[in-house]
Amino acid sequence: MSGTTGPTSSDVVIKICGAAGDGSIAAGQILNLAAAGMGYHVMNFDSFPAEIRGFGKSVAHSRISVERVLTPGTMADCLVALDDPHSITELASLRENGIVIYDSKPADYHEEEQAVAGWLQPGMIGYGVPLRELSTEATKGAKSRNIVALGVISKLFGLDADGFRWAIGKRFGGKSETVRETNVTAFNLGWEYAARELDKADPIDFGNVALARVENVSIVSGNEAAAQGCIDAGLRLYAGYPITPATKIMEVLGKKLPAMGGVVVQTEDEISAIGHVVGGGFAGKRCATATSGPGLCLMVECINLGVMAEVPAVVIDCQRGGPSTGLPTKTEQSDLNIAIFGASGESPRPVLAPTNVEECYSLVLKAFEVADAFQTPVIVLLDFFLSSRMEDVVWSREAADRFGAYEDCLATPTPEPYARYAITETGVSPRAYPGMPELVHPITGLEHDEHGLPNYSGPVHTRMQQKRQRKLDTLLARWPAPEVIGPHGELAVGIVSWGSTVGAAKNAIKRLSRSGMKAGGIFPRLMWPLAGDALREFSARCGTLLVAETNSSGQYAALVEQATHRDVLRVCEAAAMPLPTAAIEAAAAKAHG
Amino acid sequence: MAGEHYVVIGNGPAGNEAADVLRAGAPDARVTIISDEFFPYYYRHRLRDFIVGGCEEGDLVVRAPSHYREHDIRLRLGQKVTRVEPASQTLFLAHMEKIQYTKLLICCGGMPRVPEVHYTYRQHLSVLSTLRHARMLRARMPDLRRVVMCGGDMISFRVATTLAAVGKEVVFLIDEEAFWPLELTDDLRAEFSSALGRKGIEVREGDALTGVDAVGDDRYVARTRGGAAIDCDLVGAFFGFVPAIEFLRRSGLDIERGLLVNERLQTSQQGVYAAGDCAEIYRPDLRNYWVSIGWPNALQLGALAARNMLGEAVDAGGPAESVFEVEGVRVNTSWWREF
Repeated sequence: MSGTTGPTSSDVVIKICGAAGDGSIAAGQILNLAAAGMGYHVMNFDSFPAEIRGFGKSVAHSRISVERVLTPGTMADCLVALDDPHSITELASLRENGIVIYDSKPADYHEEEQAVAGWLQPGMIGYGVPLRELSTEATKGAKSRNIVALGVISKLFGLDADGFRWAIGKRFGGKSETVRETNVTAFNLGWEYAARELDKADPIDFGNVALARVENVSIVSGNEAAAQGCIDAGLRLYAGYPITPATKIMEVLGKKLPAMGGVVVQTEDEISAIGHVVGGGFAGKRCATATSGPGLCLMVECINLGVMAEVPAVVIDCQRGGPSTGLPTKTEQSDLNIAIFGASGESPRPVLAPTNVEECYSLVLKAFEVADAFQTPVIVLLDFFLSSRMEDVVWSREAADRFGAYEDCLATPTPEPYARYAITETGVSPRAYPGMPELVHPITGLEHDEHGLPNYSGPVHTRMQQKRQRKLDTLLARWPAPEVIGPHGELAVGIVSWGSTVGAAKNAIKRLSRSGMKAGGIFPRLMWPLAGDALREFSARCGTLLVAETNSSGQYAALVEQATHRDVLRVCEAAAMPLPTAAIEAAAAKAHG
Repeated sequence: MAGEHYVVIGNGPAGNEAADVLRAGAPDARVTIISDEFFPYYYRHRLRDFIVGGCEEGDLVVRAPSHYREHDIRLRLGQKVTRVEPASQTLFLAHMEKIQYTKLLICCGGMPRVPEVHYTYRQHLSVLSTLRHARMLRARMPDLRRVVMCGGDMISFRVATTLAAVGKEVVFLIDEEAFWPLELTDDLRAEFSSALGRKGIEVREGDALTGVDAVGDDRYVARTRGGAAIDCDLVGAFFGFVPAIEFLRRSGLDIERGLLVNERLQTSQQGVYAAGDCAEIYRPDLRNYWVSIGWPNALQLGALAARNMLGEAVDAGGPAESVFEVEGVRVNTSWWREF
């Protein structure tokens, strides 16, 4: 759990660590599904090596709670060691009174420095279980050690065994009956061993009480949710070039979209991908691409074309540590500046940032509407943490409408020559698709007049630049006000945060409030245009205004300072991991004395 | 790993006292305690209160983990030593880990003794020496109506009175093996019987258990030499303890009933010491070995062993007096000469 007092029966962080190929990630998926099926809330954030599969360490990280989980928690309550040498380094993130489940009958002798059991600190609880032996009994091999460990977890922590058996059945649904049965046997052997041999010495106990059982629960990652948002938005073309951590979006769409009449193209590079997308958008089809920071850099030029030509496009940027190739498998929120400002000239376009997995669905779906309604590329900022983490999710198109409803503005033929870029109050000009009779118009990356003809005069450029900016003003006016939490009136500390860091910020507010501090928060999803009025209004109520984000320079903090005309307290870390709740809490507490 | 490494097998009073002395005397050395129990160092004499709900697990704990962290003592719980190889100064653990030690102290205590005559039905006998046993007994407590107890060691008398005090019907079979291995004189036996009887316990002197039949879920019939067949919910076996040193059989250490040590608590192998219930200590004045029991003796001998491990030369001498008392019946139980 993310608290400081240790595990409770209702909020537990479990890590399953092994060498790549040990099945730690698969075990985590079953654990998540089982717990979610029991009615618990789950957040999962796996880490695995950037290098070729089969090498290095894989860690499944699951937080299970009776309450909606906001952060994965920095310290684990339980570590399952499927590989001793790799697990030793994970002990650093196990709390003082944490639990370690390790193999008590490995194949060979370990020297003292190589055995995870030898590194347990006083207060930690070690449960030795013959994982390999039981796995061999069940499946004639060591590959089901992970499933044996799940049986131990089920028994030790009082998590309903039938819920796990159901999840194992789902996980291996595409396999043969033998595979399903032997894995259930492995689970049962672990459960029975724990019941027979282990003296429970830890306090974790879910009481074998399933909450309202949820059979149709989805445990999905932010990327999977984003892909589903694309599908439900009516995506017709996805063009992309693989890049961590965005690739999963293409993988999902590659499986699903063709069956629905859509097209997925793996292009030769990111420039080509965005070219496909802008081209498809010009043709009047909903198109998208997903990339990460290095890919976004390459796409900037063509995004600008979309802005200038007023072509809808959706670009999902799954941020990772940079610059350059940077940290492919580590999280960071450092593409905000390039998403908003990356351009030649001034290139205003909306930027959205979901804060959890459900919003990856809702905001991606909404991004298509905004892109069409305002005839512009829209960038959606995920990050490695949000892309990769999994949550139990219930989503619907209707729920996405809490972010507003936006409709296309289509042109109809008139006796007058068609003005594709007509100056309007909203900035939005009636749009026509290529090939529509009597609505023929040129399209160009050059500055142009209302009819789309190149024109470099100062007055035209001014009018057109104002028109493009005015579209964003209109969007800002229509977009719902940012989420604000906390008490009314004056606040000792107000926290501003965005994207995947919002969970930690909300957690911090909870804890600060429990300690008696008047704390609140404001969490925009529409990053650009900036919700300046709302930020100023919130700022006026705050003694200290704190901005929390996962980059080192404080990219959003700078925008907030500009909007509120005050210095903010920056809790900005680029430490290759999600910003911990404790860092925000400590900074707020310190600022408030 | 470089440097001195003192390893203590056993997480009871002798082991913990020794670890503290070792830490104080060798600040730069590594000190490790290994125990096959999952639980932290706890008061065993309070287990009888625990089984009837007189205290909770937290009340049993002698030392919090912070003590070990503060004193830099590595605590390995739930880890079983399977073999000791004095020649290479190596311990082998059940989970296939090898540990090198500089000096080793064995104070792994005892385990409940069940006489061979009862082996055919021992799966139906309950014992009490660890928190694990106590948990199982506590879990069954609400459904216990009648308990048959056989044997008669120090624990049994206290357990019997504790159970009687919470309204359980207790039948106590006291035969010639009672209070083993001390010989219970007729007078003492009569005194105990009388004292137990005053607590409402049905004492069957001279009778002994000859069989146990399971007749349902946690329901038994205890058959006795006297011909009785007693319906009961639990049969408790209390025949004292034997040293838990099976894992040392191939170690080359001299073993009789317990681990033989000289008056400085050193075993027959260089660098290996023993203390507490598992050791038989040579006493030159008796020209024989004695075995200590009781918490105070364990503390004293653990500390003494540690001092000798650190290079001192301290003799164990004779044990301090320890008086066992039940309902006014007093017996000096500080030592005996064999298990």
